Amino acid sequence: MVDFESSSAMAVSATSVEGTECSSGGNQIVAAPEIQPMKKKRNLPGMPDPDAEVIALSPTTLLATNRFVCEICNKGFQRDQNLQLHRRGHNLPWKLKQRDGKEIRKRVYVCPEKSCIHHDPSRALGDLTGIKKHFSRKHGEKKWKCERCSKKYAVQSDWKAHMKTCGTKEYRCDCGTLFSRRDSFITHRAFCDALAQESARSQTQNVVISNSDHHSHRQETAKVEVTVLPPSCSPPPPPLTPSTGVLSPVPSVHSSEVPEKATGVLQHQKGAVAEAEAAEKCLATATATTTTTASGGSTSSGNNIVTDNTGVFASIFASPSVLPPSQSSPASYSNLVCGVVETDRNAKVEPMSLSLSSSLYRSSTAAPSLFPPPDQTLHRQYVQPALSATALLQKAAQMGATSSNTSFLHALGLAPPPPSSSADQYQETSIGQWSNIQSKQERNDNSGIGRDQMLMGPPAPTTLDFLGLGMGGGTGGSSGGYSAFLSSLGASVSGGVSFGGVQNKEWDDSGDKKPALL
Amino acid sequence: MDHHQQYFSPPPHHHDSVSANTWPSVLLMEAAHAVAEKNHHRLKHLMWLLNELSSPYGDTNQKLSAYFLQSLFTCIMDSGDRCYQILSSAADKMLSFESTRNMELKFQEVSPWTTFGHVACNGAIMEAFNGKTKLHIIDVSTTYCTQWPTFMDAIATGTDQTPHLRLTTVIAAKFCGAGVQKVMREISHRMEKFARLMGVPFKLNVLHHSGDLSELNMKRLDIQDDEALAINLNGTFRSVCSHRRDHLLSMFHGLNPNILTIVEEEADLNMGSFNGFEFLKGFQECLRWFRVYFEALDESFPTTSSQRLMLERSAGRAVMNLVACSPEESVERRETAAKWSSRLHACGFSPVRCRDEVSDDVVALLRRYREGWSTNTAETVAGIFLRWKETPVVWASAWKPI
Repeated sequence: MVDFESSSAMAVSATSVEGTECSSGGNQIVAAPEIQPMKKKRNLPGMPDPDAEVIALSPTTLLATNRFVCEICNKGFQRDQNLQLHRRGHNLPWKLKQRDGKEIRKRVYVCPEKSCIHHDPSRALGDLTGIKKHFSRKHGEKKWKCERCSKKYAVQSDWKAHMKTCGTKEYRCDCGTLFSRRDSFITHRAFCDALAQESARSQTQNVVISNSDHHSHRQETAKVEVTVLPPSCSPPPPPLTPSTGVLSPVPSVHSSEVPEKATGVLQHQKGAVAEAEAAEKCLATATATTTTTASGGSTSSGNNIVTDNTGVFASIFASPSVLPPSQSSPASYSNLVCGVVETDRNAKVEPMSLSLSSSLYRSSTAAPSLFPPPDQTLHRQYVQPALSATALLQKAAQMGATSSNTSFLHALGLAPPPPSSSADQYQETSIGQWSNIQSKQERNDNSGIGRDQMLMGPPAPTTLDFLGLGMGGGTGGSSGGYSAFLSSLGASVSGGVSFGGVQNKEWDDSGDKKPALL
Repeated sequence: MDHHQQYFSPPPHHHDSVSANTWPSVLLMEAAHAVAEKNHHRLKHLMWLLNELSSPYGDTNQKLSAYFLQSLFTCIMDSGDRCYQILSSAADKMLSFESTRNMELKFQEVSPWTTFGHVACNGAIMEAFNGKTKLHIIDVSTTYCTQWPTFMDAIATGTDQTPHLRLTTVIAAKFCGAGVQKVMREISHRMEKFARLMGVPFKLNVLHHSGDLSELNMKRLDIQDDEALAINLNGTFRSVCSHRRDHLLSMFHGLNPNILTIVEEEADLNMGSFNGFEFLKGFQECLRWFRVYFEALDESFPTTSSQRLMLERSAGRAVMNLVACSPEESVERRETAAKWSSRLHACGFSPVRCRDEVSDDVVALLRRYREGWSTNTAETVAGIFLRWKETPVVWASAWKPI
């Protein structure tokens, strides 16, 4: 049965009103309207009417789902209307069908939890459903759980509302990368270079977008960042025929299923998108072609325009430090471009404008301004689409096939970048480290091994039986070094070099011992 | 030191039987045997062969072979300490904010190896800090503060009134260099900026501590009485000298934190000196552990990844540190969860049970990644494990002083 208690009257009125009944049980009727409450009015919207009846329900009552009970059959209902509908079915005499007709006073409800702010009658809530939900949410047990993100809810309708939006929300960072999960977005954002560039603080509010708002929000967030394409572009030059698609620079959802090559790139216009894609593909192809054919021979890539200038491009891309073949070409292109800006010092350089307009044709001497501070991660946070390859090519054509690579590069604003790729550095340094160690040891212990050969040794393992008794393919250098190693071990070499079958003259440089041939 | 058999035996790593038959394991163990038996003749054959087959740019087998061969060689030459120092300072010189940030974030994007610990510990810390208004976290970790943005997000959005957060990050590196200091300076700026963005009153203090962590001067931590205190040890307890670990725990106990969280990798590498036949046992566990790590990396990252290469090189240095360095200089001596737990118990800590919400969060986290990752708790030891294909790899747990 429903437990129905009521509280004592609002403290304010109890003290100030004459003639009020102040018994401990039973209904309390608050004083007449002309009495002013002593407490200041709080700032809650919909503050309870001072003459409203304050009801304090017990926790059990609040959590009960079937408050309204039929007195005839004891069936419980969540809503009063449902109960009334049900009562009709009992064919009650007319009189009993009506509810108690006394004037209904406005009721407000307080939370039974003493530490809660709504326990105070001046902060009572006017709606029964409201107080029930509040009690559940704040003080109740969270029984409803979202499977996707494991957020928990006490009120089922809250959970349902969450399920509608969970997983469909997308978070966009100022740098353009898209995330499907809040935590990866947050972590990214904290370290993102876009943050470092004084973005508006209100961006956190604007960042969360739903799919439907995708396009409009894109425009909004884009305007703030300096690195973003200006919304208005002059009509792009006619698109090139893409040869082989290497990279499609479209915004991508940054989840673990996304292949590494799809970086987040912000674009505004469909036309620009197509142009950028074509340009990027074309240029990237040229890059791919030329990096793989490092000699710079012209190759046909199935594209007339590119073929005409492949020699030129080859010379551009061959001259910088050789990019490791394992790197994806778009990344290397990006590194190249960005590394380039870093080293560019010429004032009369063509600005590396991000606009897809024919700005590259301008001979303005403005320094490159729209590039963010170059860093090697740009292929990850690359905001702008590729430079218009058409423009570059046409520029090249204007310049003519120059004899000197450097002058051409400088004129275009490109120059051989410093060894900019971190992978490069690591490779070189690790070899360096090992030569270093080796040379140290050679000095100290006379036991050096051709360590750089150890690391970059003959790529194909020769066919050997288990203990390596076959020799085959050992270079002179490593052999020489190895025997020095042997001697340092104090091993006797006699008969020790039991490697079969190959001329071993250079193998044993201690000189006096003949290798035993097996 | 076989205590771990009593407390918690990890499920038989079926990597053991499978991985033990791979050519690097076979050859390297043979080589290790040759070292222990001082059979130079055989050793040079094996090392020559391994040399031919190794490459740090090849497949997992070739990579393991390369790094282990390098370490074995250095061990024989008795130049482990010096070599490790050279490699570490070279790596430090090349450190940059961008490369570090990219490596960490990429790793967290493709693998839950580090995010697992973050989620578990943040959950435990949030619970311990419930209702507190001034928070102080002492963060001794190797993840360059990537744990804290989500924590800040949680306190900014999950509480009615955002508490004050003070973070003291201790960079414990026996070979602490200018590179990591430079990186941490940049990270400080970013964290402070981010905190402003999130509306979290925030203060960050970075302490660089060279030498053993057990010698850290507690005064530098600037503990305040009116703040709730959490101590977060992520991947750094293994760097403490073995016989000083209990001492450090006692010192932490003396600070009376609300909670102490610890994340460590699940391997039994705290052998004594790698000499004689002790060498073999330790070497074998080393092989097993790093195979697991390299395989997990290989399956998480795309085929060509400079970030993975950085992580592999770092692991290669760890291998050298374990195989070739003297125990006093070693900073990679992992212990099993059971061993850590018995230390914590002995130093006056009792475990805080992992709440359901936290394990749910971890499960939700793992859904983000590829197949192969799972989580479980163990009956005999507190905390939760991250497992890669049934092998427990990372352990996270929370403790409070009794």
